[in-house]
Amino acid sequence: MASKESLDHGRTDSYRVATIGPIKDDNRTADGQYKTRRKPPAKKRKPGDLDDLKQELDIDYHKVTPEELYQRFQTHPENGLSHAKAKENLERDGPNALTPPKQTPEWVKFCKNLFGGFALLLWIGAILCFIAYGIQASTVEEPADDNLYLGIVLAAVVIVTGIFSYYQESKSSKIMESFKNMVPQFATVIREGEKLTLRAEDLVLGDIVEVKFGDRIPADVRIIEARGFKVDNSSLTGESEPQSRGPEFTNENPLETKNLAFFSTNAVEGTAKGVVICCGDNTVMGRIAGLASGLDTGETPIAKEIHHFIHLITGVAVFLGVTFFVIAFILGYHWLDAVIFLIGIIVANVPEGLLATVTVCLTLTAKRMASKNCLVKNLEAVETLGSTSTICSDKTGTLTQNRMTVAHMWFDNQIIEADTTEDQSGVQYDRTSPGFKALAKIATLCNRAEFKGGQDGVPILKKEVAGDASEAALLKCMELALGDVLSIRKRNKKVCEIPFNSTNKYQVSIHESDDSSDPRQLLVMKGAPERILERCSTIFIGGKEKVLDEEMKEAFNNAYLELGGLGERVLGFCDLQLPSDKYPIGYKFNTDDVNFPVDNLRFVGLMSMIDPPRAAVPDAVAKCRSAGIKVIMVTGDHPITAKAIAKSVGIISEGNETVEDIAARLNIPVSEVNPREAKAAVVHGTELRDLNSDQLDEILKYHTEIVFARTSPQQKLIIVEGCQRLGAIVAVTGDGVNDSPALKKADIGVAMGIAGSDVSKQAADMILLDDNFASIVTGVEEGRLIFDNLKKSIAYTLTSNIPEISPFLAFILCDIPLPLGTVTILCIDLGTDMVPAISLAYEAPESDIMKRQPRDPYRDNLVNRRLISMAYGQIGMIQAAAGFFVYFVIMAENGFLPLKLFGIRKQWDSKAINDLTDSYGQEWTYRDRKALEFTCHTAFFVSIVVVQWADLIICKTRRNSIVHQGMRNWALNFGLIFETALAAFLSYTPGMDKGLRMYPLKFVWWLPAIPFMLSIFIYDEIRRFYLRRNPGGWLEQETYY
Amino acid sequence: MPVRRMEEFEIDRKPTRKPAKQKFYEFLYNQETGAILGRTPESWGKILIFYAIFYIVLASLFAICLVTFLQHFINPRVPRLQLDGGLIGTSPGLGFRPLPPDERSTLIWYKGTGYESYKYWEDELKEFLKVYKQKGQTAGAGQNIFNCNFKSPPPPGKVCDVDIRSWEPCIEENHFSFHKSSPCIFLKLNRIYGWRPEFYNDVNHLPSDMPHDLQAHIRNMTDYNPDYVNMVWVSCQGETPADKENIGLIRYLPHPGFPGYFYPYNNAEGYLSPLVAVHLVRPKTGILINIECRAWAQNIKYSRKDRIGVVHFELMIE
Repeated sequence: MASKESLDHGRTDSYRVATIGPIKDDNRTADGQYKTRRKPPAKKRKPGDLDDLKQELDIDYHKVTPEELYQRFQTHPENGLSHAKAKENLERDGPNALTPPKQTPEWVKFCKNLFGGFALLLWIGAILCFIAYGIQASTVEEPADDNLYLGIVLAAVVIVTGIFSYYQESKSSKIMESFKNMVPQFATVIREGEKLTLRAEDLVLGDIVEVKFGDRIPADVRIIEARGFKVDNSSLTGESEPQSRGPEFTNENPLETKNLAFFSTNAVEGTAKGVVICCGDNTVMGRIAGLASGLDTGETPIAKEIHHFIHLITGVAVFLGVTFFVIAFILGYHWLDAVIFLIGIIVANVPEGLLATVTVCLTLTAKRMASKNCLVKNLEAVETLGSTSTICSDKTGTLTQNRMTVAHMWFDNQIIEADTTEDQSGVQYDRTSPGFKALAKIATLCNRAEFKGGQDGVPILKKEVAGDASEAALLKCMELALGDVLSIRKRNKKVCEIPFNSTNKYQVSIHESDDSSDPRQLLVMKGAPERILERCSTIFIGGKEKVLDEEMKEAFNNAYLELGGLGERVLGFCDLQLPSDKYPIGYKFNTDDVNFPVDNLRFVGLMSMIDPPRAAVPDAVAKCRSAGIKVIMVTGDHPITAKAIAKSVGIISEGNETVEDIAARLNIPVSEVNPREAKAAVVHGTELRDLNSDQLDEILKYHTEIVFARTSPQQKLIIVEGCQRLGAIVAVTGDGVNDSPALKKADIGVAMGIAGSDVSKQAADMILLDDNFASIVTGVEEGRLIFDNLKKSIAYTLTSNIPEISPFLAFILCDIPLPLGTVTILCIDLGTDMVPAISLAYEAPESDIMKRQPRDPYRDNLVNRRLISMAYGQIGMIQAAAGFFVYFVIMAENGFLPLKLFGIRKQWDSKAINDLTDSYGQEWTYRDRKALEFTCHTAFFVSIVVVQWADLIICKTRRNSIVHQGMRNWALNFGLIFETALAAFLSYTPGMDKGLRMYPLKFVWWLPAIPFMLSIFIYDEIRRFYLRRNPGGWLEQETYY
Repeated sequence: MPVRRMEEFEIDRKPTRKPAKQKFYEFLYNQETGAILGRTPESWGKILIFYAIFYIVLASLFAICLVTFLQHFINPRVPRLQLDGGLIGTSPGLGFRPLPPDERSTLIWYKGTGYESYKYWEDELKEFLKVYKQKGQTAGAGQNIFNCNFKSPPPPGKVCDVDIRSWEPCIEENHFSFHKSSPCIFLKLNRIYGWRPEFYNDVNHLPSDMPHDLQAHIRNMTDYNPDYVNMVWVSCQGETPADKENIGLIRYLPHPGFPGYFYPYNNAEGYLSPLVAVHLVRPKTGILINIECRAWAQNIKYSRKDRIGVVHFELMIE
């Protein structure tokens, strides 16, 4: 790969610059206060440590002489450490493994589920029940068991819902475990002169290790010997090209210098021997992983919304409870009665089943997303994508295919576009011209890459290749253009070869001819275009060989610049037919002392390669933009490549210019351009390093299309923090270890399932199983839908709180017999309301949810004033009226006319009174009137179910008419039937009168709620009709939730 | 230009942080917008008018439904659901008087000697028996009274008379015998519209759990007049063996039962429930006595636990 370094167009030092030195807003203390090698594996990171981690790498192992290094570790290049020393080091430093992220103990998670949310309130209710029962038991001979039962039921409810949410949580976290790559790693180590194969965890500082191609580097290693050794640092730095490594110290920056190889990167070619200089958490990889796990991510937006909502409801419950507790005292109730009122109000006010409903809704969406290749690790993250207003996307592997592909060719003095699409659906080019044939021959022959075996059925572009990325690209391109490359190579046997080296910057090989009429051997060469051109005297154009004059050189330069400007990596190709008299078959070519011509060759053409964008990405980016989501590219790659990809996927849209573009167009210096005139911006890591947070904010605010290039992991983190500081909800996509801190810090981190590193998957909240950016759009859509549907679900569930609580208030204030008991309230909250509320999660969107802005996390809450106003103030009141109507009807039919009921409560509830007179002079025993009361509870319950039918249907839509929305949500239709069937079951099953105090109802008692049900339906249809007619009007401001 | 583009991605929307105190004051009164408690007066006016109209309409709907129902389905004289059709059932319970001041208690407790102590109970009974005493003076009730006996049940619309003299000595003038530490407790059978008792017609096959003295009494009375078989019988006794001992002699006045001609109850104007005065002649003082009184007819069920067909009270005379 070294030859490609020359094509870098001045990018050479940029990465180094980006990664050196402090970052100003890191709150770090001072430069150089950085801890080094002797730190024991960190068990728990303190905030100070975290700042430490945010610093860039600063070590000197690569600078010191090997002798000093051996001295420092008391090791020897041939014999290695002694066993005793190794053991001592192991005991001191701990195993060479990353400390896994701190896991919350299972019991803590369980307790959180058991005591979080409404659970605490319900526990209070249950405890009050037990206290009330205890007092009754000690004072009355035959205490009523009601309170005991209610206490047990409440406790059971809390425990069951707690276990349920815990189960859901642990289920989704189990998904992750399948991702853990548990294959043990081995390393070859020299100790006391012996070669040992040890588990990688047992390596210690100072160990001499041997690494060969295909291995994973077992620790951070200073190379002392190397043979053609190359490593793939992409997961660490984002650079996709393999880097060559050797014993020489070449750069101050540890990441750039050639004599260091890093833990968990892969050796691609060659072999090497090195000294272990950092282990476990102290390795570069360990520090980045530690940076990720040490970050405080904060609550997910939906968790914030749910907390907001729980606070609201708890506040109302406590306020009402305490108020009526006091009122009960003032009205002269016994304090025990007051406590029982308090319990009733708490039970009525808390939507017991709602949190379970939310969990189920999120689970359903998570499943649906998983089937669309978005795996959600954390349930709450399901919604987060929906709220996302900014996506910071990594380039390599996410936006692009992570596969070098030939994009353009230049021959016959014209640029030809090659097909870069994944499915080869793009443009085709003429493959018959002599220019192409000559170019193809060179590309085929002067190429060491080969397909790996056993990939017969795999499409060519997806086949795995042994060899470096550019050669692989050429190989694939040729395989597509010419067919069987292998047989072509066989026919043109390679006679001699000079592989790449960084001084020549070219590769040359000589092949026998397959043309029997022409026995001349062919010399083929490829390399850095300007170097190749220097070695040519002629050029092959239109099937004829021409002298390479200034005009042709000009043409070459133009083509080279144009392709380079596209961010592509350009290679030059040339060949020469060796005269057969001078170089007959069997001539001994000497590669060390070159005895064949490498000058005055025939220039054939250029080929340029790029990692092309994925097919679905431009469309996905466009969808994100129309959904009001800002897409920012953050990459470790070079600005030119990044900008080219950004343009081709639409992150920088057509016609939008950067400051540099404007400067170039107006022919003025960059500093004279008003930065606000440029909508797009390409920010280099170097510039970013010099910005303070205000300047960064300004960039994020005033440019709508931003590309950050050459960024380090720490800078990615800073960009994410900057967006969050501006109030955005940020999604980060990435696959490398270098992305993991940003993934963790983001509101939602999205890792790649196929290409992603384990560390990045660990840090992410969501994993795209197909590595496709387009899946994010699905995620956004599902997230927005579930937010809307949760609103509907909550509106539905909260509505029945009013008919639940109003009986208690009437009971206390009007002294009427209790119209609805606590057990029946629980039957609604945990029984009949559950399935319909969940079924709203299946509701189809009302309009194109991808055409609107992301929600404002500060103002557009899940539960807002308007939702409460609708649910409590309007629909709930109609429902309460229905319940009371049924209550009065049944009471009146049995002999208690409405007016008689007021003020009757004390006698009614007294066991001592066995002859309570009704409106007809009949006298009721305690037992009979309680049977009447419980029948009323049942009827009140049934009428809540009846009015909830209408509520469910109106909750399907927030703006549209139900006629428009239709009744195609079969889960919801099932919910309607289910709640009715359950209500009938509870009422008519024999024995329910003993167990739940539910009595069989006459059929006609189902009917009184019907007028109210219809009025709910009609009222809301009219309301929504008016909303549609007067968008933005007063009614919308007050009632559109 | 860039500012206009900002609208596309509204990123700068994080509200400025304010201290809680200032937030609260701004909630109370926001000088910028003139909002009080989060709304401007105009906004308050609109929402209040909206809700006022909403609730007026809702209340009217409720009222229309209720009035329609009451007018069309409810007869003010006849319950819509009767006996087993409703929840009152066909097994009446028993009630006792006087009732203690606390409606949750069934304890009749007083000091045997002091007038102040038994005055409450006496007043309670006076109040209860007022309708029996003053029946002639109640408008419309007087002319309904019919002198019933077993041979002549009351014609429709008429009600049977209750002779308060027959409770002697349990009468008002005698302080219902409370002052002598031998209090009279009045029992009444619960009224159930249209309920007819099924009498024990065969005096030789009375239920085995019926107290023997009551069985003997029934046989005596029916020997004297066979019509007396048409009675709903009443018996009282102590709940526990100790209570049975402490309760002493019990007298039932005028008879240990309610005459059958009082039934069925048809909500006739001036209807008076038949009463039995239970005269505890010499209950033990200074100790709490649990007393259980039970009504006897073939269609009166009995369950002590559910208090069906039975009434329980305690007596304590110091």
